[in-house]
Formats: sequence, structure tokens, C-alpha cells
Amino acid sequence: MPDTRRTHPGPEPEAGGRRPGERLPGGPPPGDHPTGDRPRGNRPDDGPDARDGAIAGTGFGGSMDLAADEGRTLEDDPGPDGGGPSGRPRSLWSDAWRDLRRNPVFVVSALLILFLVLIALRPTLLASGDPLDCDLARAQEGSRPGHPFGFNGQGCDVYTRTVHGARTSVTVGVCATLGVTLLGSVLGGLAGFFGGLWDALLSRLTDVFFAIPVVLGGLVLLSVVTSNSVWPVIGFMVLLGWPQISRISRGAVITAKQHDYVQAARALGASGPRMLLRHIAPNAIAPVIVVATIALGTYIALEATLSYLGVGLKPPTVSWGIDISSASPYIRNAPHMLLWPAGALAVTVLAFIMLGDAVRDALDPKLR
Amino acid sequence: MLLDVRDLRVEFTTREGVAKAVNGVSYGVAAGETLAVLGESGSGKSVTAQAVMGILDTPPGRITGGEILFKGRDLLRLKEEERRSVRGAEMAMIFQDALSSLNPVLTVGDQLGEMFVVHRGMSKKDARAKAVELMDRVRIPAAAQRVDDYPHQFSGGMRQRIMIAMALALEPDLIIADEPTTALDVTVQAQVMDLLAELQREYAMGLILITHDLGVVADVADRIAVMYAGRIVETAPVHDLYKAPAHPYTRGLLDSIPRLDHKGRELYAIKGLPPSLTAVPPGCPFHPRCPMARDVCRTDVPPLHAVERGPASGPGRGSACHFWRDCLEGSARR
Repeated sequence: MPDTRRTHPGPEPEAGGRRPGERLPGGPPPGDHPTGDRPRGNRPDDGPDARDGAIAGTGFGGSMDLAADEGRTLEDDPGPDGGGPSGRPRSLWSDAWRDLRRNPVFVVSALLILFLVLIALRPTLLASGDPLDCDLARAQEGSRPGHPFGFNGQGCDVYTRTVHGARTSVTVGVCATLGVTLLGSVLGGLAGFFGGLWDALLSRLTDVFFAIPVVLGGLVLLSVVTSNSVWPVIGFMVLLGWPQISRISRGAVITAKQHDYVQAARALGASGPRMLLRHIAPNAIAPVIVVATIALGTYIALEATLSYLGVGLKPPTVSWGIDISSASPYIRNAPHMLLWPAGALAVTVLAFIMLGDAVRDALDPKLR
Repeated sequence: MLLDVRDLRVEFTTREGVAKAVNGVSYGVAAGETLAVLGESGSGKSVTAQAVMGILDTPPGRITGGEILFKGRDLLRLKEEERRSVRGAEMAMIFQDALSSLNPVLTVGDQLGEMFVVHRGMSKKDARAKAVELMDRVRIPAAAQRVDDYPHQFSGGMRQRIMIAMALALEPDLIIADEPTTALDVTVQAQVMDLLAELQREYAMGLILITHDLGVVADVADRIAVMYAGRIVETAPVHDLYKAPAHPYTRGLLDSIPRLDHKGRELYAIKGLPPSLTAVPPGCPFHPRCPMARDVCRTDVPPLHAVERGPASGPGRGSACHFWRDCLEGSARR
């Protein structure tokens, strides 16, 4: 019965309540329906239909009750920090931060990264010795009091070198990732948003960069560099790394751009920059964050690769990459020389990947 | 006339060729009036609305002709910046699927408040208060508590109410509702339509209701424009059209409605499929499916004849059928 009402609920002046048809100027009087009035032919004898407004009203109440129940449930379950509806305006980022603080994965990885950054800034807090203080007489010796990690092939203290190596590795990883992410996501995002000629040009340009093999490119480009700082290495990574992020952010922006809510925002008068920053970017940022955190690990490893090939950092710079490559031939005789810097590298990479994972989850309200 | 669309033409460039999605559509909406635009998928009803709103994707879309007069100004001649200030403030749109039309990473309060921040330059705090007010206005219970919820925490009907609230935020003069109830179940449909009609009356807005649901139309519309293959095939005041359709396509649509007193009988269906827009048949686009088609229908495109004689005729009725008189009389006899 309700279904038929839906298919031909002709506006009847006699139908009570707030039926919209009522205001129709010149609407036909009740008796004006010829028998050929097929779509609404069965209406005049359809008494209950006059109660249509009332039925709709009941439905209103029902769904209102339902929604109020939802509201109550939400209030009754405010979460560990009582994060129910609060008086102040909430934003995506403040909500994400509240989520992150409760996430053990985030807390552990953030503490680890904080610790790494601390020893990168002040290595002498943990290792007061000089990483370049080496004595060949102690080469490859195992751990002993005062030198818990033993000595490397040159007789340098592995513990001191591992602590001091954090600085270069963290600097290379963080700076290269920041550079790559900023450059790549801005270029890719704009290309995806505006499309057209610039998008085509940028896409071909990324193809060109993709065609350059990283190791070969490193050998060619970095072999001419004489500086012994980390910056040429970082610059090289940004140069070859941005196309990857650019592609991902371009794709994510194009996907997000097609969502109905972007169209809806446009229909309600949002400007281009507002649509991009407020509606598209937050919905496109997750894949970029994930790839960037994974890339951070690979950049630290790439620094090690380049150093191993002799074109990255060069001794006397202290880095995990240099130590790993110099220890690798002796893995059977003196595994400790390899394991400590490699372990530090693995923990660092893991911490950043876990952080990226937690941040991505926190930025997706649907997972809350 | 609040909105006057004249001879609008929109094309899409596709791999298969040029698709003429809108082919000389004209309609008008007065303040406080509801125009229902009826048609199957692909009949051009949504594309017309997108062109009016100025949110057509160009490319692949292209407006090749016509005028869109809104309060006397031709919108097609405005600069994009001026156009944008019209959108949202003077005309707004309600979309079919409220879940995908709301940004999942922003709270509903943020999205409602955004209207005031963008167009009125309000502070965030004031905008939030306005958002609560709007949610009350569309009868969302416990609005003050729910303003900080995300769209996925609302039910379908509640989300569509939020979309309606967003469209109404700046009290526009014209609202285009593109199948606002299609994604909702029947009981909620009725509530949302009632709400929309009530608010429209309250604010005396013009409303263009795009739908393929004849039931929804009968309830709220003043006038109907039936579209087929990018053209308007019939336009009429709602009662007249239901009483006696003057185009075989409209008659087919009305006959395809399931009816209780026809229980057990086979349901009528218009035979065939709507034409591909890249290969619209010559002559009347409906002729391959039309039970009344004759030779002239295969060659001559029928203009929108004024339906001024016969049952249920009157000023403002039009039918794009060579044999509208026969059709009208046939309809009235049934």
C-alpha cells in the first residue's frame, strides 16, 4: 500500500497536513478528475491517502528517534580521553592528533624517532669518545667493558661510530624525503588538478627521470662532486626521487578530484585553491605519506649504497652506510661489525614506516 | 522569470564521436515555482543542470549554443570569478548521493560553515553557530552535539538533510536538486521531499527537480519538462500532463507505472532502448520506439508545438510530436 502511494501521490487539495501540492495555484478541485485520469484514478476513493501527511510525519519522528539514539550512543562512548562532542571546533588535524596520542604504534615509533633525532643532534650525550679514534691493534675485536659493540676493521669503536652515524643517516633520510615530498607532491598535485598541457609536460618529464638508473646516475653525477658533505647526496636523491612522489600525488589528486564532494563544493561556490587545499589535498595525502615514509628508509639505504660505491659520502665522514659496506666482507669473521650499524639502520627505517602507517590511519576518519 | 534557459546546446567529445547531450533545450523557472525535469538516464537532464550551475567538465564537455538567463543576466557571458560568486549564494545544487557528496575528512559543521566563511567572510566560530542553526532548520536532532560528527556517522536521510542545509545556507533564489531522493529508501524519500518542498515555500525559491521518479514529481512539481535524447519532448503543468499526455513518450512513461488496480496484468514497457547520443536517429529521436510513428517521423524533427486545443490543453503546454493532437485525444480517451 505505501508503495502505490509513492507512485502516484497526486497533489490533492483535500489531502491534509503540509502537502506541497496545496499551494498550487489553480489546482483542480476535488471533483474535477475525469475517469480518464489514469495515474491518479484510484485516488478519490482512497481514503487513507488523505492521511499521507500524517504518515510522513510519523516517519519523521521515527527517523528522528533513530538519529537521536545514534547521538546518544556516540555520547555514551566518548573514548578514553572523553573526546565526545566538545565545545570548540575540531579540525582534521586536531582529531588526527587525538587519535595518534592513543595509538601505541605511533607512541613507540615517535619515541624511537625522537631518540634518533636527539642522538643525531647531540651524539656526545651517549658516546663521549671520538669515532675517528682508531687503533689497528684492536681491529675486529669483540665487545669488552667500555666498548660494548666491539671494534671494526680499522680498530675504531663500533658503539661510538653507530651513535655518531645516526646524524648523517637521519639527515640524509629526513632531508631527502622532505625535499622529494615537497617537490613531488606540489608538482604532481598541481599537474593532476589543472591537467592539460602542464600535466602532459610534467608526465613526460617524470618519464625521463624514471629512465635514469639510480646507481648509474649516482656514479655519473656524484663522481664529479668533490664536497664531502651530505648535501650533494641529498640533492641527487631529490632530483631522482621526486618523480615517484609526483606520480603518486598526481594520481591521488585526479582520483580525489572526481569525487562528488569536490563537484558539490564547486557547485556551492568554492574557489580553485580552496577546493585543492581543503577538499582534495586531505583526501589525496594518505598515499603520499605512506610512500614517503617507506622512501625515507630506502634513501638511508641508498646513501649506504652510494657510499659503498665510493661516490656517496667518503670517510672520514661517519655513516651507517659506510660502516655497513666496510664491514660486509668480514661478516663471517666479525659479524658484530656489520650487525650493529645494520641493526640501527633497520630500527630507524622501521620506526619511520610505523610512523607513516599510524599517521595515515589517523588521517582517515572512516577508521575511527 | 527567475531562470530562463534558451536553446541550450551541449556536446561531449568522446572516442566514438561527438555526443550531443543537450540539443536545444529551453525552459524557465519563476520564483517560488517547481519545475520537474523528467527523463531516463542519458536524456541530458543532469547535463543541462550542470551547464546552468557552471560545473560542467570542460573538456570533454562544451556549450555550443544558447543562453542561460538568470535574473536577466546571461550566465554564459560571465567571467569564471563572477560565476563562482553566483554559485552557492544565488543558486545552489543538491546532489543525488549525499554520502559521496560530503567530504569524508571534514565534519559536517566544517562543511556547512564553509559556506559562510567562503561567501560571507564569517569567522570560524560564527560559521559554526550558523551551521548548528541550519542543522536545526532541516530538523536534525541534537544538532549542537552532532555538528562535529563526520558524514559517515549520519544515516542516509540525515546526510541528505545536511546537503539540503548546505544548499539553503545562503538562501539562494534557485535550487537545482539532481535526483535528491534516488539514493534513499521510500519512507525517507517522502520525508526529504516534504522538507525540501516546505523550505522552498518558506523561502520562495525556484526549484528545479531532476528525477526519473514520476511519483516524486506529481507530489511537488508545478510544471514538468520531459526530456528525451537531449531534447524536451513535452512540457506542461503537472496536472495536465498526468491527465492527458500529448507525447507518446510521456504516455509510455505514465503507462509503465505499476498500479494496484492492474495487479496481475503484465506491466507496460516502452520497447527498445534510448538512442546513443553519438548516433541519434534522424527525424524524431523517439520514432524507432514510438507506436504512433509514421513516415514523416523518420525524416522531420518535430518542433515543440504549442498544445492549445483538445483536452487538458492550455497556455504553456508544448509537445515535440508531429501528431500531438492524436496523442492528446488518444490519451484522454483511455
